[in-house]
Amino acid sequence: MECTKAPRRGTAAAMIGTLAVMLACAAGADGAQPREIPRDQFGAAHAAFQEAELAKLLPAGDVTKAPAGFDPVIWEAFIPEDNAQTPERVELGRKLYFDTRLSLDNTVSCATCHDVTRGFTDQLPVSVGIKNQLGRRNAPTVVNTALLQTLFLDGRSPTLEHQAKLPIVNPIEMGMPDGETAVKAIKDDAEYRAAFKKAYGREVNHDDIGRALAAFERTLVFIDSPFRRFLAGDTEAISPEAQEGWELFNEKARCVACHPISQGNPLGTDNRFHNIGVSARHQDFEKLAIEALKALRDDPSEEKLDELALTTDMSELGRFMVSKQRGDIGAFRTSMLLNVGITAPYMHDGSIATLWDVLDHYNKGGEPNLFLDGGIEALALTEPEIDRLVAFLFTLTDVRFAEDNAREFARQKARAEAERPLRDNAAAFRKKLWQEK
Amino acid sequence: MKIKHKSVETRYMEARREFFNGLARVDRRSFLKISAAAAGAAAASGLIPYHSFQPVAVAAEAQPAFKFAYISDSHLYEKHINDRFVRSLLRAVEDVNALDPQPDFVLYGGDLAQLGRPKELKLGAEILKGVKAPLRMMVGEHDWYLDLGAQWRELFGAPTYSFDHKGVHFVTLNSVVERDFWTARGLTPMQRMMTVAGLDNGVQSPFSVGAEQLEWLRNDLAGVAPTTPVVVFSHSPLYKLYKKWNFWTDDAEDVQALLARFANVTVIHGHTHQILTNRIGSIHFHGVLATAWPWPYAPEGLPELTIQMSRPDPFNPMDGCGNGEVHVHADGLVDKVYNLWNRAPIIVGRRYLVSNGKEAVPPAPNRISY
Amino acid sequence: MCVDFVRTGAGKGAVAAVLAAFALAGAGCEERSALKRPAHGAGGGGETEVILCDGSTPGAVAAAATGQVLADSLMDQWKRAHPERDWVEVEKEQHELKPPADNSALLKGGQGPEHPYGRVTKQELLLWARETEKFVVEGSRIFHSAELLGSTVAVSCDMCHPHAANTHPETYPKYQTQLGRAVLLRDMIEWCIENPVRGAHLSGDDPRMRALEAYIIAQRSGTVMVYGKH
Repeated sequence: MECTKAPRRGTAAAMIGTLAVMLACAAGADGAQPREIPRDQFGAAHAAFQEAELAKLLPAGDVTKAPAGFDPVIWEAFIPEDNAQTPERVELGRKLYFDTRLSLDNTVSCATCHDVTRGFTDQLPVSVGIKNQLGRRNAPTVVNTALLQTLFLDGRSPTLEHQAKLPIVNPIEMGMPDGETAVKAIKDDAEYRAAFKKAYGREVNHDDIGRALAAFERTLVFIDSPFRRFLAGDTEAISPEAQEGWELFNEKARCVACHPISQGNPLGTDNRFHNIGVSARHQDFEKLAIEALKALRDDPSEEKLDELALTTDMSELGRFMVSKQRGDIGAFRTSMLLNVGITAPYMHDGSIATLWDVLDHYNKGGEPNLFLDGGIEALALTEPEIDRLVAFLFTLTDVRFAEDNAREFARQKARAEAERPLRDNAAAFRKKLWQEK
Repeated sequence: MKIKHKSVETRYMEARREFFNGLARVDRRSFLKISAAAAGAAAASGLIPYHSFQPVAVAAEAQPAFKFAYISDSHLYEKHINDRFVRSLLRAVEDVNALDPQPDFVLYGGDLAQLGRPKELKLGAEILKGVKAPLRMMVGEHDWYLDLGAQWRELFGAPTYSFDHKGVHFVTLNSVVERDFWTARGLTPMQRMMTVAGLDNGVQSPFSVGAEQLEWLRNDLAGVAPTTPVVVFSHSPLYKLYKKWNFWTDDAEDVQALLARFANVTVIHGHTHQILTNRIGSIHFHGVLATAWPWPYAPEGLPELTIQMSRPDPFNPMDGCGNGEVHVHADGLVDKVYNLWNRAPIIVGRRYLVSNGKEAVPPAPNRISY
Repeated sequence: MCVDFVRTGAGKGAVAAVLAAFALAGAGCEERSALKRPAHGAGGGGETEVILCDGSTPGAVAAAATGQVLADSLMDQWKRAHPERDWVEVEKEQHELKPPADNSALLKGGQGPEHPYGRVTKQELLLWARETEKFVVEGSRIFHSAELLGSTVAVSCDMCHPHAANTHPETYPKYQTQLGRAVLLRDMIEWCIENPVRGAHLSGDDPRMRALEAYIIAQRSGTVMVYGKH
């Protein structure tokens, strides 16, 4: 049986067929990757393998145009003036993306935590950096980040260019002491010098490293999901169950207000920051907020903010670290729902394992805390309604990842059938209000 | 000596003591759920006062002499009818209990119940027992017009009273007195209550303080020196903003005349569910936030000094709502702190009113009522 | 005068029976009880035929009905049997409404006696105004009634929108952030009913939705239309 057979695009029948095949392959493999992929100490596929996969996923196209089927006017608005898309810049960025020389001990590249074979993330709760240091935040997927208005879960980067530079100098991610060291690491490579000259007409420099990476990331647009085809008029593109899930998404489950999905904004995020009560499970926000204000007053640099956000308890304060506004305590940017099926585990700290658990979290009204977004409230969703919503969410994955998606669906379903740690029917059906004993 | 009559304060302290004795038997995790200020002691070292969350310009104000907090306009139904309003009041109580340092007392600004029913008032009373600081109650029209105050008096005592605190003379009025519109129409008590409960219901009469209370107020203020700061708690605004929504006190001029001889008077009022600021002569007027829902701004009559709160998002039932604090300065004038849920707090400071809107101007939103 | 009595939906048997008594009393019907003089015995289909509280109008109630349900049914039947009853005036007294446009200018001018096309009469203008007004007043009734809206949390529209303030019907169509797409006024009304009012889904063709839309638009009469305004 060919477990790695790529599915035919499109029809539901093909999806079901693939799913059946995948289930058969995944049976008995309790979550382990059934494909034979060579992986390093961080679980990342080897760079060569990733690059080959990427070439298969994205055959060469015209990088100067908007992605197929996407509103070109909106696309243009996301390209900065000083970094127009050119093939040279994209190629340079691709090279840098897979290059471990940008880390202190030559073990970690962008592709380590944003692995082509793992949904362009690492499918771990929190990421692991050089010297096996554990971070505090779940790695967001790089896919479709071109369409976000801010980067990082707390929005501390206004652009892709700005964001790409920071993990390189973060002590627990790639560990370079500063941008200059990163430049030095690749400056002596003649290929790089030539590539930078061709792409930007300049010597190798830290800002252009960021620009090139951003240019490459802008090509990673995967918005061709079965759901998008359904919105475009193909009523067979998603199952009736998923269609009912989409209705619930817009109505009883109250998802659409923070996760709007339309042709112009296929991502399913409002780009805003909300405290939905995930962090509240395990800290005292007031105390942390006071500490954070002190620390940021002592060192207001953005590198310090980046470090605190990833290495300390203050990570849980989320957007507050950036805005210092009381209303932002514990708030994180609404995650994009596109391709959500393949980017488990969920939430800013990866603390929620499956989409069923995610729905349990929302169904009970999140975790009460002083700064909970008032829009979060108990939803009184029944089990069949949750199943429909999950079915819908899995239709948001680009068809090019259909295999991974199907495998993930099976894995998550098996796990959800075994345990649902966040389920709380008393809260969901408003029998017990928050704060009540 | 047998105590024949217990004041509102005594009854409250007793009930609260009982409640907290009960808490001692509760396990730690539940306790933390009830009062998030458990870490107060830890925060004391290197304590940065609450002002540190505020924009720097306002934080530069002189330290107040004392502060009190407020919770208002909860409009409770029984929990099985409407859980949202109950949640909001519970959240407000948590907020106020988490204040560090604790306020001197907490004002409840009126409209505890939605339809004045005994179950609603008792539910509210029960929830408010969770407030750690001493409680001062003020009545609103929703509490009053089902039984004309019978249940309210039983639970909370007389609606009109005064007290002195740290050199400030506090007066609480029942300023939602309406001329009888119900007898001639043959309305039942519930019909009367439903009429008053509709903000835009034109059958009801305008709010007033009434001759009896004016007389009481005259006598109460008689012995108070004009240099003594005076703070008046009133549900209706004690000025005339918009009659069609009863953002109005019919005999406002009479009340203001009685207060005119004092150097510094502040009126803290409920009913309007929004940020509202006004100044008439030496009297400063501040509205308080509701916990239940926000009102839009009136189409006309808005005081010049009022800078609107940003238009709320109906998706978030708590947007435009919250609670807050009143920081009282030595001269008796106040900084009014609006703790809007999910937003940065807004402070309408003493300096803003004293300078008639020229200094310490609060931020104006980009989206207002229109 | 039989005043309309807005119910709160809290009815359990005993309480509802008391409220029902109030309803009938408030309706000016103290003298008569609906079941005092049944004209016939139990009718077909589990219904009991009755005479309504005015002593003359016949009606029927489900045999099993009690308390609030019974009172509501009787009231509804009486209202339907008496369309001349001044419910419009009652609603207008409670909730100020903007009147429909004044078309009296149409009575003048025209193309002269040889061209009767386009002429209107006073009675026609009155009919048009009256029917339009009733449509809007019906919307006002629903707007102000948690029960008619189908709210499960006893919330009515006027609790956030007194006199339909802050509804901005003149700004539609627009991208409504709460819905994640561009919508019309009625889509937002539906959203409000499902969310803050927590009622059941109300379709665009439902007479209640149409009446609500009529009322909301009427309240902004005279405002310039600016679609897409946020």
